[in-house]
Amino acid sequence: MQPQQKNRQERSILKDKLSWLWSEYSVIIAFLIIFIAASFMSPRFLDINNQMNILMQVSIIGIIALGMTVVMLSGGIDLSVGSVLALVGVIAVIALNATGSIIAAVLTAFIVGSFAGLLNGLMVAKGRIASFIATLGMMAAARSIALYIANGGSISGEVSGFSAIANSEFLMIDYPIIIFIIMTVFVYLLMHKTRFGRYVYAIGSNEKAAMLSGIRVDRVKIGVYSLTGLLVSVAATIETSRLNSISSSSSGVSYELDAIAAVIIGGTRMTGGRGKIIGTFFGVLILGILNNMMNLMNVSPHLQGFVKGLIIIVAVVFQKRE
Amino acid sequence: MSNDWIVEMKDIEKSFNRIPVLKKVTLQVKKGEIHALLGENGAGKSTLMNILGGVHLADKGFIMVDGEKVAITTPKESQQLGISFIHQELNVVGDLRIYENMFLGSELRNKLGILKVEEMCRQTKDILAKLGVRLDPKEYVRNLDTSYKQLIEIARALLHRSRIIIMDEPTTALAEHEVERLFSFMTKLRETGVSIIYISHKLKEIKAICDRYTVLRDGEWVATGSLKETELDQITNMMVGRSVSEERFVQEHSFGDTILEVKDLGCEGEFRDINFVVRRGEIVGFTGLAGDGRTELIETLFGYRRKSTGEIKVNGKQVKINHPKHALKAGLGLVPKDRKENAIIKDLNVIHNLTLSSMSHFEQAGFIQEKREKSRFSYYRDKLNIKLHDPTVTIDKLSGGNQQKVVIAKWLEVGPDVLIFDNPTQGIDVGAKREVYQHIIDLAAEGKAIIILSSEAPEIMKVCHYIHVMYQGEITASINGDKATEDLIMRYATGSKREGGKGGKYRNAATAKE
Ligand SMILES: Nc1ncnc2c1ncn2[C@@H]1O[C@H](COP(=O)(O)OP(=O)(O)OP(=O)(O)O)[C@@H](O)[C@H]1O
Ligand SMILES: [Mg+2]
Repeated sequence: MQPQQKNRQERSILKDKLSWLWSEYSVIIAFLIIFIAASFMSPRFLDINNQMNILMQVSIIGIIALGMTVVMLSGGIDLSVGSVLALVGVIAVIALNATGSIIAAVLTAFIVGSFAGLLNGLMVAKGRIASFIATLGMMAAARSIALYIANGGSISGEVSGFSAIANSEFLMIDYPIIIFIIMTVFVYLLMHKTRFGRYVYAIGSNEKAAMLSGIRVDRVKIGVYSLTGLLVSVAATIETSRLNSISSSSSGVSYELDAIAAVIIGGTRMTGGRGKIIGTFFGVLILGILNNMMNLMNVSPHLQGFVKGLIIIVAVVFQKRE
Repeated sequence: MSNDWIVEMKDIEKSFNRIPVLKKVTLQVKKGEIHALLGENGAGKSTLMNILGGVHLADKGFIMVDGEKVAITTPKESQQLGISFIHQELNVVGDLRIYENMFLGSELRNKLGILKVEEMCRQTKDILAKLGVRLDPKEYVRNLDTSYKQLIEIARALLHRSRIIIMDEPTTALAEHEVERLFSFMTKLRETGVSIIYISHKLKEIKAICDRYTVLRDGEWVATGSLKETELDQITNMMVGRSVSEERFVQEHSFGDTILEVKDLGCEGEFRDINFVVRRGEIVGFTGLAGDGRTELIETLFGYRRKSTGEIKVNGKQVKINHPKHALKAGLGLVPKDRKENAIIKDLNVIHNLTLSSMSHFEQAGFIQEKREKSRFSYYRDKLNIKLHDPTVTIDKLSGGNQQKVVIAKWLEVGPDVLIFDNPTQGIDVGAKREVYQHIIDLAAEGKAIIILSSEAPEIMKVCHYIHVMYQGEITASINGDKATEDLIMRYATGSKREGGKGGKYRNAATAKE
C-alpha cells in the first residue's frame, strides 16, 4: 500500500511537471520536434549554409512579427505592415537617390514607418476605430501611395554601398540575421523589463482596469502602433537593400499574414494580454523551417500555402485546449 | 443508505501544483434545505463547489447525488444531474442580449431548428419579474449595471429548474432590496424541494436564510450543524479560530487641514450639486441605495467620467482631472468596486498587479527591478495577511478575498493623500473585514483622508466620522458618524424625507426603463 501510494504521488508530480513544461514552453518543444523531424527527412537540412539560409529568409518577417506581437498583446491587430513596408521602401530609395546618403535614406525610412504607425495608433486610440478596420484602411492607402509614387513599378537604388546593409556578414553571420536577433532582444527587454511592456499586457487583458490604475491607455496604444511602424521600417530597409530595389506592387504582399501566423504559432492570444516575445521568435523559426523543408522536398509552391494554413489552425486548436 | 441527502461529497481532496487546498472534506446537503458553506478567504469553498460543478476534478473522494455515486468531469455533466452553479465571478457575455445570455447553450428551437426568440424573451421576462426586476430581454448585457448582471446570472440558474443550486457569493454586487427579493425567491424554491448551497461572508444573511451550515478552515472540514442551534459568534469562532468584535472602532477626532474640496460637482444624468470636504485624518462615508449615483460621482472625481459642472480642489489648489492619471498625480487613489471588471488584470501575476500603478517605485534606469517588486510584495503580504502560495501565478488563481487585498495593497503602495474605497469589503471574510477597516483607520491616523462608499450602512457607521447619504444623484443628508443610526440613514436613502420622491430625473439607465 505505502509504496504504491508513493509511486502514484511521484507519477502525479511528473504529470504536473510535464504539463507545466508544456504550457510554458510548448512552442519551443514543437520547434524541437519539427527541427528533429526535418533533419531526418532531409540530409541537407542540417547543413550550416542551409541553416543560415533559413535564418536569413525569416529575418524580415521575423522583425515584423515582433511588432505584430506587441500589437496583438495590446488586444489589436495591424494589417498594414506589408503595404507600409512597400511604401517605406519606395520613399527610402527616392531619398537615397536624391541625397546620395545612406544615412539619410535609413532615417527617412524610420520616419515614414513610424509615422504610418503613429497614424494607425491615432485612429485606434483617439478615433476609437477598431484596429482591424483602421489598419485595413492603412493597408489600402499605403499600397496605393507606393504605387502612385513609383508609377506602379520598381525603383532601384543608385548609391553603391546601400546594398551592403543586407548583403554583408559579420563572423560568417549575415547582417539581417544579426539585426533580427538584436531586435528580438530589444523588444524582449521592452516588453518584459520595462513599464511600457507591463502596460501593454495590462491593456490587452483589461482595458478598463488598466485605465483605472492610472495608465494612459491611449498613449500606450499610440506607442504600440508607432513601434510596429518603426520595426516595419527596419524590415523595409533590409528588404530594399537585399536586392537594391523595391517593387511598389509586389513587395510586402501578404507579409501581414505570415507575421500573424508566426505570432499565433508562438502562442500569443488573439484577444491580447497573453503571449511572449520568445514564443514569436520560435514561431518565426517554425514557419521558416517548414518553408525550407517544402523547398528541399520539392513541394509545389502552390501547395505551400495549404501547409502553412494547416499549421496555423493546428496551433490555434492547441491554444484553445489550454 | 439514507435518501435524506441530495448531495454528499465524501473525503474530497484537491491540490493545485502539489499544494493541498482541500483535505478530506465532507459536505452533506439535505433535500429542500439552504445550506451555508462558510469559511475564511481561501478556505476552499469555491474550490469545493467547482468540483461539484465539474470545473475541477477531485484528486480523491467521491460524490453522491440522490444516493447514487456519480462521476462529474465536466460542467455539462453537472448540469445534467440538475446542478446549477452561480459563480463567484460574473460569467455573462456582454456582447449578447439578456435573453441570449439566459439561454446560452440551451437555446429553444422549433422543429425547423429556428430560434424561438419570442418564447425565450417571454420566459426571461417572467423569471426576472419573479426576482423583481423589469428589464427588456433584448437589451445588451454590457449596458447593464453590475447588480443586474448578477441578477441575470442568478436568473439563468433558476431557469434550468435545477434540483441543486450553488450560489457562490451572489449578493456582493446587489443592493439591499434586491437581496430581499432574492431571499424570498430562495424560500419559495426551498418549499418546492430545491436545495441550495449558499456561500457568503455576510453572516447576517446566513442567519436570515440558511438552515444548516458547514464550516471549512484552511481546506479542512471543521463543523456542520443547524443554524437555529448555533450562535453567529460561535460560527465566526470556528471560521477564524477566534472571536471578532462587532463594536464601533474607537477613534480620536483630531483632523488636519482640508485636503479635498468638491464644489457644485455635477454630471449630466447622474448626479448634481455635490459639495463636500475631506480633511486629513478624516474618514468620510457615502451611502445610499442602488442608483444613488455615488459610484458615478467617484468615477467622475477620479477622472474616469467627464464632469459637466463644478470644481475640485486638492490641498487648496484647483485641479483639472480628465483622466485617472491626473487624479493619481493630484494625490487621489481609488479601490474600485466590482473587482473582476474594474480592478484586477487577470493575465498579470499577483506581483505585477500590485505594482501596476506605482511602476516608478521599482524602476532603475528605465528597467523594472523585479527583486524590489518581490520584496515589496512580501511586505504587503505580511501586512494585509494575504494568503497565497506563489505570487507569480496569475491573480485569478487567488481566492476572491485575497484578490481584493492585493488591490488594496496596490493603492497603499501608490500612497496617495486621499484614498477612496468603493465597497472595500466586497467578498472579504469577517476576520479580514475587521482587518481592512483597521487598516483604513490606521491610514487615517497617519494623516490620510479617506472616502468610503458602501451600501451597507451598519458597516460604514462603525468607521466613518461623517456620512453623506445620497438619493437619486443628490446628497440628501450629511450626518455625524456618532449620531447616525441605521434608521435615519435609511430614511434619507429612500428619499422618504422628501416631497414627491418619485420621478427624480437622475437615475441610472436600467432603472429608468421601469
Ligand atoms: N486554479 C487554481 N490554481 C492554483 N491555486 C488555486 C486555484 N484555485 C484556487 N486556488 C487556491 O486554493 C485556495 C482556496 O481557494 P478558494 O477560491 O476555494 O477559496 P474560497 O474559500 O472560495 O475563498 P473566498 O472567500 O476568498 O472566495 C486558495 O489558496 C487559492 O489560492
Ligand atoms: Mg470563493
